[in-house]
Amino acid sequence: MKRNNAWAKFLLLVVGAFYTLPMLAMARFSFQKVPVIKLGWSTLLKNWTIGPMIDAVTSARFLEAGWLSVRLAFLSVLLSLLILVPTTVYVHVRFMRARAFVELLSILPFVVPPIALVVGISSAMRSTIPSFLSSPFSLVPFYVVIALPFSFRSLDVGLSSIDLKTLVEASRSLGAGWMRTVSSVILPNIKTGVVSASFLTFAVVLGEFTIASLLLKFTLPAYLAEAQGNNPQGTFTVGLLLIVVSALLLGVMNRITRGKSQIVSTIGI
Amino acid sequence: MPMTQHKKVTKKVQIALGLAAAGLFLGACGSSDSATETSVEATETSVMAADCPAADLVDAAKAEGQVNLITLPDTWANYKGILASYRDKYGIANPVANPDGSSADELTAVETLAGQPDMPDAVDVSPAFAQEFDAKGLWEPYEPCLWDEIPETLKDPAGKWVAAYYGLMAIGANTTVVTEVPTSFAALKDPMYKGLVSLNGDPRESGAAFAAVMAAAIANGGSFDDILPGIKYFAELKKSGNLSAADVTAASVISGETPLVLDWTYNYPGMATVLAENGITFQVTVPTDGVYGGYYAQGVVKNSPHQNASKLWINHLISDEGALGYIVGGAIPARFDALVAAGKVTPEMMTNLPDPALTAGIKFPSAEQVAKAKEVLTAQWGPLVADK
Amino acid sequence: MNTTVWSGRGSLSERAPLGLFVRLRPWLGILPFAMFVGAFLLWPTFSVFRSAMQPVEGSAKPAMLEAISGQYLSSILFSMRMSAITATLGMVIGTLVAIAVVSLDRMRGLRNLMVGYSAVAANLGGIPLAFAFVASLGMQGLYTKMLSAIGIDLTDMGFKISDFSGIVIVYLYFQIPLMTLVMLPAVDGLKSTLREAASNLGATSRQYWKNIGIPLLTPSLLGGFLLLFANAFSAYATAYALSSRGSQLVSVQIRFYLQGNTITGKSNLGYALAAWMIIVMVVAMSGYLGLRRVSERWRR
Repeated sequence: MKRNNAWAKFLLLVVGAFYTLPMLAMARFSFQKVPVIKLGWSTLLKNWTIGPMIDAVTSARFLEAGWLSVRLAFLSVLLSLLILVPTTVYVHVRFMRARAFVELLSILPFVVPPIALVVGISSAMRSTIPSFLSSPFSLVPFYVVIALPFSFRSLDVGLSSIDLKTLVEASRSLGAGWMRTVSSVILPNIKTGVVSASFLTFAVVLGEFTIASLLLKFTLPAYLAEAQGNNPQGTFTVGLLLIVVSALLLGVMNRITRGKSQIVSTIGI
Repeated sequence: MPMTQHKKVTKKVQIALGLAAAGLFLGACGSSDSATETSVEATETSVMAADCPAADLVDAAKAEGQVNLITLPDTWANYKGILASYRDKYGIANPVANPDGSSADELTAVETLAGQPDMPDAVDVSPAFAQEFDAKGLWEPYEPCLWDEIPETLKDPAGKWVAAYYGLMAIGANTTVVTEVPTSFAALKDPMYKGLVSLNGDPRESGAAFAAVMAAAIANGGSFDDILPGIKYFAELKKSGNLSAADVTAASVISGETPLVLDWTYNYPGMATVLAENGITFQVTVPTDGVYGGYYAQGVVKNSPHQNASKLWINHLISDEGALGYIVGGAIPARFDALVAAGKVTPEMMTNLPDPALTAGIKFPSAEQVAKAKEVLTAQWGPLVADK
Repeated sequence: MNTTVWSGRGSLSERAPLGLFVRLRPWLGILPFAMFVGAFLLWPTFSVFRSAMQPVEGSAKPAMLEAISGQYLSSILFSMRMSAITATLGMVIGTLVAIAVVSLDRMRGLRNLMVGYSAVAANLGGIPLAFAFVASLGMQGLYTKMLSAIGIDLTDMGFKISDFSGIVIVYLYFQIPLMTLVMLPAVDGLKSTLREAASNLGATSRQYWKNIGIPLLTPSLLGGFLLLFANAFSAYATAYALSSRGSQLVSVQIRFYLQGNTITGKSNLGYALAAWMIIVMVVAMSGYLGLRRVSERWRR
């Protein structure tokens, strides 16, 4: 059945332009060493250079910071899913009454300022495991916490949008045990939610600055802040590069993980 | 706080080796009244090179191998050059964590990382936070050699910190965008500068913006004790539309979004290269009606992992190399007068510095005056300026 | 049924002294989550309130009371206004984008690109994002100049990127993709079978959405709105980097007292402002939970 999707295409065009135009302006600023006031037809093609970008990307500092951030991101996604997937599945399947409580907890990280998290946790850590905050991987629990609103919400929406009750009843009545039900019936159906949660957590970690800077850890945003004063144009090009590369990577990952789930979800009940 | 000329009478030469052990706690070049006094005008340089800093300190510092530094941006008062000269001279690593952090962040880092290997060894904080560090007992009192050449106004009487540099509040003008350069606070009110004047942040957070308000207060009939005229000045500027809401960053200066900036004299030279590459001409002027100086305090952090390297760092900041590094960066070093007297400062070096006539006899507000000004600012800036 | 304590499931409820244990047992399932959150979130939150109850240096009343008066109250209200507006706009546009992406399912790669970019854009902020907009629409912006070349002068029209409306536009840059990502699973869940059934029964597109689509989506819409509201409420870096008007936001002011260069001794005030922010969110949460319970009834 054909539906007129012209509106969809138009909307996506407008939103796409909204997303890309500011980045293009920033790219122009970063790659061309001509201030806007002097920009005209005669100067349009002058002074374009990728020098600052090369400097920024090849610097050892960038690679060091980038590598730490990527590792932190993977670990945070792992820990997030490890804690949240069982919890949200359990809540939706067995214990809906706790959902409000869990939701409240998941919203809290937004409004507790990062400095409060750092100061609060350090005061607790100092009496128990003082060296905890020295390790760069101490950031992982912090990151899981600050990504909580996004990761929880994605999983929650994912679980809410499948007809969980019917699926579980059907599966159980066909003789599947709980573990089988969860692994073969529920999890594949919430793949979109899991993927959303992972991507959002990953992106949160790559972009988080305050906590890392307070604990003096050298992550990617810290590198960008450091390089900003010296070489603002170079830093922005790195930022743009990161945006493009991350978006492409996440897009590819989405393609790979979506394959399976699509089959299941179109079988409507 | 009255400005007293620093004592030029004698330079006390320390009996280095004998006092070295105690000296590590009291300051490698600290002295007692019974030490031999020698006036060393002619041979000053060679004596200083030999004794200051003490060889023991240098060796101990080298053994430590590293000093953890924090919030020292490369483009701030030429810290890039000063950090490099320290590394070149002593071969000790000096990594800088969180270069764009605030003084409060430094305090947080010192407290959260207490006892850890990455705890900051030395800090560079605003005067208000120097008091906070003092109140919390976080300073390790240390008087670097050449302590006596530092003016009283630029050091803590108990030896807890030193102000290795200071700067003046100045108007930075992007002359590619602004053709007629304003030279005073009064001139900034001119309608031709509509939407062009920017503060470097909110004064309740940024030291530079706070100083701009104080300078404006002086220009408008106020004083160190009365910051309200400064607040009212900016309220007026905002009302007339001259005060831009745009945030000042290196990028905004280059793009021309913020063509008239109020910032420290030592924040401009760092941008010079990038500005030139982008074909932008820039001019720095100290406003004629409101001359305001501000310093930052440096000191050794108590119980930090690398005490000796840290003390050596403080010495380095006060030493000739450090001082000359600051001059290149547009900041006036603490021992400026002594250096000029010894003929070490050439006119080329002084291009980034404000007119010495302005800095001679400079006064700084006392801790109490700053505290009072902050109270008034916290209460009034929002209602009068920011929320309008 | 009389059975011993340790045998069988469900028989425990018969034993009165162990009734409490039974009631609490389901909570064990979320114990790992609760412990993690307890250590890394609840303890710091508790510390915030503890500091907020103390008075500010030189004052007698607790910081909490001071933080709700005068200029601070207007800051909290300003933040709430900004968050509500950007959350509403973000909710509407983001959901439409999600629907559009799902309906264009046949265009390979579009969804992947949108998901990928949305995840990245949802976390953009601070100086890079602010500067991207300044470079576009600021006084010396690229598009400002281009528009003035064809005769449209933005400054004359009274538009400044550093105004309230400018901040809203910049916030939408991360609000819209966030909503898109949150709603995609929900829109996916709108079975195409329902749509087909509706049209077979003669319903127009509009009727489908009004009677089936939107009610089904409402719980997720509300959840998304709450998320966006909280996201905007807590954001500080972007607004501060964009405009001095950003310093009217509570989240920015907290930084003055806790992470600044000039003000000392007022950290309790900072914590008090944070405490009020938490309270606002808890109230918003309750409102949301109530609304959601009503809307979910429809689904059954």
